Amino acid sequence: MWLTSKIKQVLMVLKPGVVTLKYPFVPRPAPENFRGAPYWDHTKCIGCGGCSNHCPARTIMVRDICQEIRVMLYDGSRCTYCGRCADVCPEDAIEMTKNYELATGDKNDITETMELFMLTCQRCGRCYEMETSNAIDKMDLRGYRYDNLETRTVIRKTTDQFDTSVLRETAQYKRPEKI
Amino acid sequence: MLSKLSKKCFPKSLWVYHCNSGACNGCDIEILNVLTPYYDVERFGIKLVGSPRHADVMLLSGAVTRPTLPLVKRAYEAIPAPKLVFGIGSCATGGGCWFDTYNVTGGADKAIPVDYFIPGCPTKPEAIIYGVALALGLVDKKASPIELKQMEFPIDSYEMNKAWEERNVIYQLIKD
Amino acid sequence: MDIVYSLINVVIFILFAPLFEGVVRKLTARVQSRQGPPVIQPYFDILKLLGKTRINSADNWPFKLAPVMALASIVAVVFIIPFGFRQNFASRYVDIITVVYLLTLGGVSVLLGALSSKNTFAMIGASREMVTMIMVEPVLAMTLILGAVKFKSLALQSAMFNVTGFGYSVSIILMLVVYLLALQAFVGKQPFDISEAEIELLEGPFIEYSGPNYALFKYYMMIKQMFYAFLFVSVFIPFVETGFYFADIVIQLAEILLVFVVIALVGSTNPRFRIDQAVKYYAVMIFLSMCAVGLSVRGF
Repeated sequence: MWLTSKIKQVLMVLKPGVVTLKYPFVPRPAPENFRGAPYWDHTKCIGCGGCSNHCPARTIMVRDICQEIRVMLYDGSRCTYCGRCADVCPEDAIEMTKNYELATGDKNDITETMELFMLTCQRCGRCYEMETSNAIDKMDLRGYRYDNLETRTVIRKTTDQFDTSVLRETAQYKRPEKI
Repeated sequence: MLSKLSKKCFPKSLWVYHCNSGACNGCDIEILNVLTPYYDVERFGIKLVGSPRHADVMLLSGAVTRPTLPLVKRAYEAIPAPKLVFGIGSCATGGGCWFDTYNVTGGADKAIPVDYFIPGCPTKPEAIIYGVALALGLVDKKASPIELKQMEFPIDSYEMNKAWEERNVIYQLIKD
Repeated sequence: MDIVYSLINVVIFILFAPLFEGVVRKLTARVQSRQGPPVIQPYFDILKLLGKTRINSADNWPFKLAPVMALASIVAVVFIIPFGFRQNFASRYVDIITVVYLLTLGGVSVLLGALSSKNTFAMIGASREMVTMIMVEPVLAMTLILGAVKFKSLALQSAMFNVTGFGYSVSIILMLVVYLLALQAFVGKQPFDISEAEIELLEGPFIEYSGPNYALFKYYMMIKQMFYAFLFVSVFIPFVETGFYFADIVIQLAEILLVFVVIALVGSTNPRFRIDQAVKYYAVMIFLSMCAVGLSVRGF
């Protein structure tokens, strides 16, 4: 009686056969609404820094290297693929692609750097009218940002006018030691 | 001669030891998924073993927390050479959201030398198989650093597009 | 001439044992609806294990001696058995009691290695392996004694090949059924792989062994599997006997392959027994095997 049930078990397996996917040799697309690595469209990005403010892992760094050029660095090593950056971008410049094949031996391979040319205001250089109605401006950040790109640190130190002493000082920022 | 033969057979049968150093278990469940019939990884000769002394590869998941730091180092030293380490998930690659909190060392490469990182939160089982195939040399690497430069004003590209449109309209009119 | 037969025995067993283990693994994978490793995978496993560095985690002489002793004992058994219906070099000097002692020596060397590892998991695995050995040995001894009782001699040839010379009597059929039901514990597969429970005990008695030592233990387990399958074939189905040596070898290897298919199918569809359930199951087996020997004494 247990013998017939075991024989039935073996015969039951013959119907589906082998169900293994031939994945690495045959490409397999991701399903709908899958969030893979984010990708910035540099023609649409206005350099507002909203994605950097909302990232929970503080993975997006923004640094102004002179008055006109802003460098943004996405460091994929800590990204949790939550999609908040794409959600909050006012220009829809960030797209969560369906790319999940990100394995690599070197952590610098999953980074994305953007250099953006910022327009200056004709009258005063670079300040904008502070509205208090949208989420980005409510964070009370001023115009120029100085995150450190080498140590991948987000430093929320902002100034009204472009300040080279702050630039030099944040270039040597070191994280506090622990353990 | 025997050692050369052993080196050739090494990529054909890798035995895997799974070590969880403070993960949320999402990546652990995905590692278990990789051993099921659908994404079968045993066709590459990979077997899950229970003791680090039998293993060749250590799969590390989780940001290395402070209590588990000496234990991860001991497990790494218990594996006989030659060995590989895979860091699976965002927590092992860089520490995830918690990379600079008080209890977390932040990333697997602060504790032990890591050979391959497989990011994801949690990592898709196909991504783990892709990482394994990359280590065995069956596929090419697809991730690379991207650099984008915006060197013209957005208003200029808008006007350039409008100019092209007008030019095409004129050609259409001439053809007719 | 006789010593050539012994050496050919050893070579055939060493070459073919990993192949049969690969067949078992592939068939287990197919029953679970997946693709499974290639059939020659255990060869790669053993070659890779031989190339790793050796870590002596417990620095005493039983730890280093145990794998070598295990492999040596099972190769000694292979050296003396009559494979292919030919008497060989050692047949003048050995009988069935030697075979039983050498098989037990293999089990004792596993215990020696496990208990000298200074690890709690290894100790638990060793105690379970001890219980398994104790309950398995009477059935093995009864199988060999059956032939000895029929022919009133303890020589290997009579116990192994001439048992069915007088046809299949009741006691032989009973013994065949008991051996098939007890086969899984001899080879250490589900439902009786209690001592080497992979996930429960982190691989039981072999937990501290790495690299070349572990390769020797794995080879010991593979050759032991093949030997038990060969024992079934030689005691209970010897009616196909041509005169040519090589044809005999090929036919016996094919029959061993069929036994391995049965082992794989039973192993992949059964769960693992607890140690007390296994002992109760085996008590029934021991009782039945003693009945079979008693019947053959009476002449049935």
